Amino acid sequence: MILALAASGEERGQGAFNHWSFQPVVRPSLPSISLPAGRQASPIDAFVAARLQAQGLALAPEADRRTLIRRLFLVMLGLPPSPERVRAFVHDPRPDAYERLVDEALADPAYGERWARHWLDVIRFAESNGFETNRERPNAWRFRDYVIQALNEDKPYDAFVREQIAGDALGVDVATGFLVGGAVDIVGSPDPVLTAQQRADQLDDMVATTSTAFLGLTLGCARCHDHKFDPLSQREYYSMSAIYSGVRHADRPIRSEGDPAKKERSDALKKRLSELDQERIELEPLATPAIAGRTNSIRRASVNARWNVDRFAPIRARRVRFTIREVAGGGQPCIDELEVFSGARNVASARAGAKATASSTLPGYAIHKLEHLIDDAYGNDHSWISDEAGGGWAEVEFAEPVVVDHVIWSRDRLRGFSDRVAARYLIEASLNPGEWVSVADGSDRRPPGVSGERDLESEIVALPPGQAERRRRVEAEQNKIRDELTALAQAPMAYAGAFSQPGETHLLHRGDPMQKKEIVPPATLRVFSPIIMSPDEPEQQRRLRLARWLADPANPLTPRVMVNRLWQHHFGVGLVDTPNDFGKNGSRPTHPELLDWLASEFMASGWSVKAAHRAILLSATWRQSSAPRPEGLRGDAADRLLWRYPPRRLEAESIRDSMLLITGALDRRAGGPSFHLHEVDRENVYHYHPKERFGSEEFRRMVYAYKVRMEQDGIFGAFDCPDGSQVAPRRASSTTPLQALNLFNSRFLQDQAELLCARLQREAPSGVDARIRRAWQLAYAREASQEELADALAFESEQGLPALARALLNSNELLFIP
Amino acid sequence: MTLPAHPLLNRRRFLNDAATGLGSIALAHLLGRQGLLSATVSGKSSLRPDIDPARPYAARAPHLNARAKNVLMIFCSGACSHLDTFDYKPELIRHHGKPLPGSEKLITFQGEQGALTQSPWEFKPRGQSGKMISELVPHLAAMADDICFIHSMRGKTNTHGPGENFMSTGNTLDGFPSVGAWVTYAMGSDDQSLPAYVAIPDPRGKPQNSVNNWAPGFLPAAFQGTDFNASQSIRNLSRPAGVGAMTDTKTREFLRRLNERHLERFPGDTELAARIASYELAARMQLSVPEVADLSTEPESILKLYGADEQGTKIKDLRAAYAKNCILARRLIERGVRFVQLFNGAYQTGGEGVSNWDGHKELREQYSVHGPVLDKPTAGLLEDLKQRGLLRDTLVVWCTEFGRMPTFQKGSRGRDHNPSGFTCWMAGAGVKPGYSHGATDEFGHKAAQDAVSVYDFHATILHLLGLDHERLTFYHNGLERRLTDVHGSVVKEILA
Repeated sequence: MILALAASGEERGQGAFNHWSFQPVVRPSLPSISLPAGRQASPIDAFVAARLQAQGLALAPEADRRTLIRRLFLVMLGLPPSPERVRAFVHDPRPDAYERLVDEALADPAYGERWARHWLDVIRFAESNGFETNRERPNAWRFRDYVIQALNEDKPYDAFVREQIAGDALGVDVATGFLVGGAVDIVGSPDPVLTAQQRADQLDDMVATTSTAFLGLTLGCARCHDHKFDPLSQREYYSMSAIYSGVRHADRPIRSEGDPAKKERSDALKKRLSELDQERIELEPLATPAIAGRTNSIRRASVNARWNVDRFAPIRARRVRFTIREVAGGGQPCIDELEVFSGARNVASARAGAKATASSTLPGYAIHKLEHLIDDAYGNDHSWISDEAGGGWAEVEFAEPVVVDHVIWSRDRLRGFSDRVAARYLIEASLNPGEWVSVADGSDRRPPGVSGERDLESEIVALPPGQAERRRRVEAEQNKIRDELTALAQAPMAYAGAFSQPGETHLLHRGDPMQKKEIVPPATLRVFSPIIMSPDEPEQQRRLRLARWLADPANPLTPRVMVNRLWQHHFGVGLVDTPNDFGKNGSRPTHPELLDWLASEFMASGWSVKAAHRAILLSATWRQSSAPRPEGLRGDAADRLLWRYPPRRLEAESIRDSMLLITGALDRRAGGPSFHLHEVDRENVYHYHPKERFGSEEFRRMVYAYKVRMEQDGIFGAFDCPDGSQVAPRRASSTTPLQALNLFNSRFLQDQAELLCARLQREAPSGVDARIRRAWQLAYAREASQEELADALAFESEQGLPALARALLNSNELLFIP
Repeated sequence: MTLPAHPLLNRRRFLNDAATGLGSIALAHLLGRQGLLSATVSGKSSLRPDIDPARPYAARAPHLNARAKNVLMIFCSGACSHLDTFDYKPELIRHHGKPLPGSEKLITFQGEQGALTQSPWEFKPRGQSGKMISELVPHLAAMADDICFIHSMRGKTNTHGPGENFMSTGNTLDGFPSVGAWVTYAMGSDDQSLPAYVAIPDPRGKPQNSVNNWAPGFLPAAFQGTDFNASQSIRNLSRPAGVGAMTDTKTREFLRRLNERHLERFPGDTELAARIASYELAARMQLSVPEVADLSTEPESILKLYGADEQGTKIKDLRAAYAKNCILARRLIERGVRFVQLFNGAYQTGGEGVSNWDGHKELREQYSVHGPVLDKPTAGLLEDLKQRGLLRDTLVVWCTEFGRMPTFQKGSRGRDHNPSGFTCWMAGAGVKPGYSHGATDEFGHKAAQDAVSVYDFHATILHLLGLDHERLTFYHNGLERRLTDVHGSVVKEILA
């Protein structure tokens, strides 16, 4: 077995393993170069300048301070500097003013928010499953926060690597969100071929992403046959697959200690909530059942999936019957809880001695039994579904006759599902057997819309003024408490995968899961001292050994691949411009010695990502001007040798974030659950409709937006934003008319233009002239020229300040890293 | 108002220079690695289109002699049954009610099989060719002499999402570029005031795998399909509410001046020039898209031909709405849009089989709606294209993600998924009219003769456009990627 896996000397001799990136990282000696007087050359500059010199080119002069600070902030933080920060830096007389600025930027939490996005691109992270169902992963955000935090606290990269593969063994549960960050097809089927194929695709996603992200190797190409260019055999592919064969897509509880303060808080909130519930009921309009032959007038909100009240004049009853006459969207209706109240007391509870009967119950589901209707447990997993499409009834008999005055019912009070909601229904009460009185029906409600929660406002407006006011207040407080309770109640879960001891792994002929060949053991790759494990190696141990192998300082690929990624996001292109392929079919580095110098420095610094940033940021190469020069354009138009700093367009997220910062709208709250850029219809298959109107909740940084696979933000998605379906080691940067339409015409941009106007009026009250100057400072980190000022003044006087703001927010300068 | 000191004319000339003379600067950004490596794919050198980033949609010459200039791809979402439409199987009628031999152990997508079941619709000979086609689609049947059927299609997944991905992008996974994205990447468009690639979603909503059907994948976003239909225009197309026409125009001009001044500091930067140009293309689209989507100038006879004239019942309303999309498709093709993808069927309302072709449980009832909705408008579209001479340059492709079983599902009145054999067809530029290629087995279960994979199907589409599917590549994540991966061969037999 071992013999078969280890590379034979002959094979090595043949050169398959002689490829440059498989050789040990060796710290190179520095070439000697001379820079013009007064400029300090860092080792980075020595390598860059030597290469330029060989082509008859040279580094450009240093950029001015305004450009430097703007470049530094946009690249490192994804946000422009404030005018005050620019002024302070430009006038800072200290010799180390720039060094201080670099340290300040690296210490800014915005750094992690900006650079986490780069890593999340590389590892195809998103918060939905993809494919047709594309359901949400409400706990996936914790991994995003883990990445941001790791960057901000400068977690050593070797630890960052190890934790993402085997964080469960290292006390960092959430980090294994990496393993299951990709798409998964959850459509279930009794078809064994389909099921096997789906599982093979999941494992392939993990294997391929691991090898490209950490090693820059396209091991995924060896799924069906040995790799065409690199010494990666199909056998090795399945050996790596065996390491992950016990990993499944799932939420996993994050281990943490119990907190007595939490319990106390939670109890207090629950008490307050029940008081508010009572108050809220009194502020519900009375239900008015239809009278035969007359059209009922509409004064109540439409039904919704998570909470409906029907309040009626008090009536003495022994039982209440709920009859469904129509189901929104069709199908069998579902009710997770039917509560009947006598004042504050729910008499329709099994605990209070109530009994439920129904016309029918969907057979075969433990989570959808009749008893769940009155079990005091909410949510889809404790609900009743009838066995009749579009209809059915349920009846609750109380322990004794009692005066009741309202019913509360819902489809899914935990907000998971919104299908199967009763759209038309009838509620009747009965004291004596067979004698029923209608107390409420849906005929005075609005017809159900896309989302039943949207028209609550119309119901509130119809209330007498004092009551409307009160109800708004009550509801606002309730919503707040519910959110807090939800957060408190959850033993925190993260979408970080579930682990179990797997069976044997077979090599699959031509990658076909139905053509199993020989058994292969879990093993790492031959390109660097392979570890071959026993076929019954414990599951966690497999990943832990892989993790240590990846982050072994003698592994030549891991540090090279990472420093190349860092370089890429500083300069737009990496030294190796195929960042996920360091194999034979990938590009060779433009500066091989620089790459190795960076890699060896990286490890010598204890794998400090921030130290690597700092080295780059202090170099003359980074600090040089971006102005084009004829000789540079002639000799190296693509600027791969770096005769100037390469200017380029910002990415989608930074464009949005920058705009929000400039207009003063940006909400800097960090971390936590994602906000939505879409309206979501949560049917069996989830549908996402890009929002067109946004409020302050959506003005957080875009890294905190719910990352939905496939479905893009309606405005910024068009800026080559990866959709998380496939890894995106390097984004395209294309220019399209849709981008122009989205920025020039969207409601979002109009709102931002108005916010910018308000800010300008606030901050520069003295006149139009001052407002325009301020606008230039905010948007471009510089003063307006006389020509610009004259043009802008003339334009403003004709078309107004909002038009000026609209143009500025669309302008090239705002979107470009200078 | 005061104009800036520098004459704009010079700036404009300068911009032109920037966009043509130094086009290679931003090209490197757009297309990834350049020049450092000569890519070779299976012995053939790859042909990457030479794209000017300031004019990504400029028409580009294909590799070979092209038979078609543009493509209209009609996609029936939900998996349209070949056995109830175009694939006539007398043995299925003869064996109606008997088990499918060997089906005892056969587990398909939703489980076990019931008996072989003949189509509820009668098949009749059509046209001069006598092609047997079902009464479910009589208008399309009447066009049989113009259509080139492929009865031996073979997919590789029996799930809708991956199936739609496969047919639309050549890969079952999400995130790969759609056929239309590849084609516009290769060829740009003949019209510079409309999007080069338009996806027309069904009036009822998006297909099952949603926007991934027209996604750019890892190709630059410039090549994504722009989705709109006759009832819903492009998002953010029109001037914002509250902004007057004059202010809008003046703002555009002011923005242009801002950008030109900025460009003076970066002479020759095509990415900046491209952004300036993109606002001009956007302004043109703002006029031309509403114009092309305005069907009010279409005469009564055309509305009649497509079935867009009748309303009042559920079927007629749906048909009229889809028919309008069909008319829109013709208008786009007429104006030179390179790739139009027209969807019939959606997943956004009702779920399984209700608003798409996924007839698991109530095939007869559901197809009695879907058939008429598809039939007359699609046939009208073919007929209209033909009458206008557009079929000479336009390749019409009709497809679906996979077929359906010749059996009804156990305990059900509908057919389960079947990727082993199904029908797609082509018509128009470069394909044989009135021709049938390949065949399924006697019951219509599996492709049995001249099987055509989805890769072959795509290779043939590219071939008809003059594109070599083995040489049209884009580098991503370690590979020169192709629409057809490492597979596919052109189905020569169907070429005219």
